[in-house]
Parts: sequence; structure tokens; C-alpha cells
Amino acid sequence: MGRQITISCFRFNPNIPGDKPRMQDYKLEEYEGMTLFIALNDIREKLDPTLVFDFVCRAAICGSCAMLINGRPRLACKTMTRNLPSHFTVMPLPVFKLIGDLSVDTGKWFRDLQMRTEAWIHTTKKFDFNALEVRMDNKIAEEIYEPERCVECGCCVACCITANIRDDFMGATGINRVCRFIIDPRDERADAEYFEVVGDEGGTFGCVGLMACDDMCPMELPLQENLAFVRRKMAGAGLKLTFPGIKL
Amino acid sequence: MELAKNLNASVNKSFGKTDLLVDLAQSISGVILIGFLWMHMLFVATIVVSPELFDALSEGLDKYYLAQFGIPATILVIIIHIFLAGRRAPLRLRDLRITYRMASLMKHYDTWVWVGQVITALGVGIMASMHLWTILTHWPLRAATSAARVASNGPADITWGSFTFPYYVVFYVIFLIFGEYHGGFGLYRILVKWGWWERHTMGWVLKGITVIIVVLGLTALYTFTKIAANPALGGAIH
Repeated sequence: MGRQITISCFRFNPNIPGDKPRMQDYKLEEYEGMTLFIALNDIREKLDPTLVFDFVCRAAICGSCAMLINGRPRLACKTMTRNLPSHFTVMPLPVFKLIGDLSVDTGKWFRDLQMRTEAWIHTTKKFDFNALEVRMDNKIAEEIYEPERCVECGCCVACCITANIRDDFMGATGINRVCRFIIDPRDERADAEYFEVVGDEGGTFGCVGLMACDDMCPMELPLQENLAFVRRKMAGAGLKLTFPGIKL
Repeated sequence: MELAKNLNASVNKSFGKTDLLVDLAQSISGVILIGFLWMHMLFVATIVVSPELFDALSEGLDKYYLAQFGIPATILVIIIHIFLAGRRAPLRLRDLRITYRMASLMKHYDTWVWVGQVITALGVGIMASMHLWTILTHWPLRAATSAARVASNGPADITWGSFTFPYYVVFYVIFLIFGEYHGGFGLYRILVKWGWWERHTMGWVLKGITVIIVVLGLTALYTFTKIAANPALGGAIH
């Protein structure tokens, strides 16, 4: 017989007329290896079919099931209930538009970010279908892979006071995204062009350095490192300074 | 049309480097002020070694016009820093509410530390003005005058049976802790934003330095009260 756990769930569906935000308790029995994702599915199957939440992959790849678990943004599928107290709360992520209960629309936010940072390889080279792919240095490939691991769950945006206060701040995920393209040698954008993308208060210079993103990223991306890298890079680009020999 | 021409010139201009320059200036003013603060505390702590050393240093600063130049320059940097760093502070009620709610929900250490920085910033701003007023109205700064100031209305007056609240000692203890907290974590944040170093290790190094400076300050404060209470040590003024 497992532990009895009580999950206090935020409930509010803006699409139901007259619905009011409230916290609703669900009691269930914990079993071996239970993640919050499993627990929420149990609730929906056995206790309350109206509970709304997102999930796709249940393996920390899709980033859909991010929510505030006991106040901290995390992925439900990557959170074991045994590491939580027997009574805990789940709430939807702030900043993003609420769809209902625990489900938020991160898609639109990230689509906007995609457009804003022009998150694709900018190149003048014409693609040749028949040619062999140009080989990339393994070290650079690994460097790109680090920021590339972002699953766009939105945890870093939700825990960022600046992003909570200001709508135009692109958050750690946005700056991290630009970092990925700055490192990539295939992207031919000059630093001055990146400066137009992130060199303002909505981008790298809006960060106050509270580092909640660095502490709470479910993928444990090196956000402090990447954010500082972009900041130095953009300061150099803005001031038109180059530092030969120094690795920014 | 003059207006149309002006508008045309401004609407086509990119927003430019203002945000970069403002952010950079905020960090630089912060670094200057923490540098000043640590130097200031090391200078004050010379009193622990001997009042003569304190006086020699103080006279040297006056003689080479370092004090006369340094104090107005520092005031200027403080004012600049208030404007630059102040734009980060959650001052609107809406922003305050968001900050408080998120910080309480997440119970995130660094976020709370930053809330503390905003609060200490207010305290430091007020107390720095008071401090400047009291030192400038009791010029020059020498071991004897400083000791008299620190101990006035306090330890030197205490006789058994009639307790006087040690205003200056309490003031300086709070000012010291607020200042070092704000400056120490401020430098931490600047280095987190710009630097190459892993922040947890760096945080402990800065906390170590801050504790050392606070202990130095408290020791200096204690020494001043001793000097004020004992005419033989140069506290004759009181």
C-alpha cells in the first residue's frame, strides 16, 4: 500500500461561462515510480475527466507538461511524486495564455519568438541536393548541441520576474536560442545583425540576472553561461569592439 | 516642413545602442561604487591598527584633494546609479505584486536575494545621504572627530542608571550591513550577467569578502567607541 497523496489543482476554464478560478483537492494512492504525469492521468481517468492538462511524450522531450509544481516550474513527466510532500499544489505556468486548468498556450509565444529571433540558418549558399553535406567540426557540433537541447517548455519564462513583469522580454529561452545561432558557423549573420535581434531591453540587456532560469531549467541547460556569452557578444557588437585572443 | 523632416529623421532611426549603453553604465557604476565601498571600509579599518595611521591617511586624502574630489564624484556616481539601477526595481504596484507572488511561490533563493537588494537600496540611499550630511558638517575627518561622532549620544555617555540609546552605533551597524549586502550581491549579479565564472563558487567568494568587510567595519566601530570613551587614546574631544 503506497502513500496517500493529495494534489491541490488549480481549476479554471475560461471557455466555460461563469467558471471561477479555484483550487481543487484530489486524493490518490501513490505507487512505485509514479510521476506527476501519471498521477494527473490517474485523476483524469478515475476521479475527474474534466481536468485539463497537456502532455505528449511523457519523456521530457516535448516540453508540453510544464507547470508550477509546489510553486516551481517543472515538467510533470520528469517529477517523481515521491520527491514531493504528501500534499502539494499544481498550477499552470504564468506569463502564457491560459487554455484551461493546467494547460497554457506556449505555442503562440514560441512561434512569436521564432519569428522575432529569425531562428533559422541565414545563408546565401545555394543548397545542392547532390553534393555531400559539409562536415562540421565535432567540437562546434557539441557546442551547438547544448543550447539546442531546449525543449521550449517555458519554465525559464515562467520563473523569470522580468518576463512576468514585461511582455516584450524574450526570456532565457530566447537569448539561448540566439546563442545557438551565433555559435553555428553555417549562419552567416554578422554580430551587428544579431544585435538588432537581441541587443535591447527585450533581449539580452533586459535580463536582471536573477538566475531562476538557470536553477529551474528542466533540461539543465547552462543558461548562466549562454546568457552571459550573448551579453558580452552583443556588447562587443554594439560598441564595435573586438577582443582578439579573448574567448567571449 | 521642419516637423516632417525631423520626424522622417527619427522614425527611420533604429532604436540603437541606448539599451546597451544604459545597461553597461549601470554595471560600471555599480562596480565603481562597490570598489569605493570596499576601499572606504579598508580605510576606516585603519583605526583598528592605530589612530595615528587613520589620521595620516585622512590627512593625506585631504592634502592631495582626493577627498575634495572623491566625495562629490562619489555622490554623482550614486545619483547616476540610482537612476540606472532604479529602472530595474519593481516600483509599480502591479510589478510589486507580481514580484512578491512569484518570489513567495517559487521560494527561489536568488530571487529573494534580489528583493532584498531592492529593499537595501532604499535603505542605503537614505542612510548614505544622512551619513554624508553628518561627515560633511563635522569636517575634517580625524580619529578624534570620528570617534566623537560615532560615540555621541551613546556609549561614551553611558553611565550606570541612565541608559542613552546609541543612535550612531545602531545607525552605522544597519548602514554597514545594508551597504555590504546591496554591494556584495550587486557585484555578484553583475558578474553573473557578464562574467565567465560559475556563479555558486563566485557567490561564496563574494560572501566571504562581504563577511570580512562587515567584521572589519564592526571592529572599527568598536574601536571608535573605545577611543571616545578613553581620553588617553585620543578621544579628548568628547
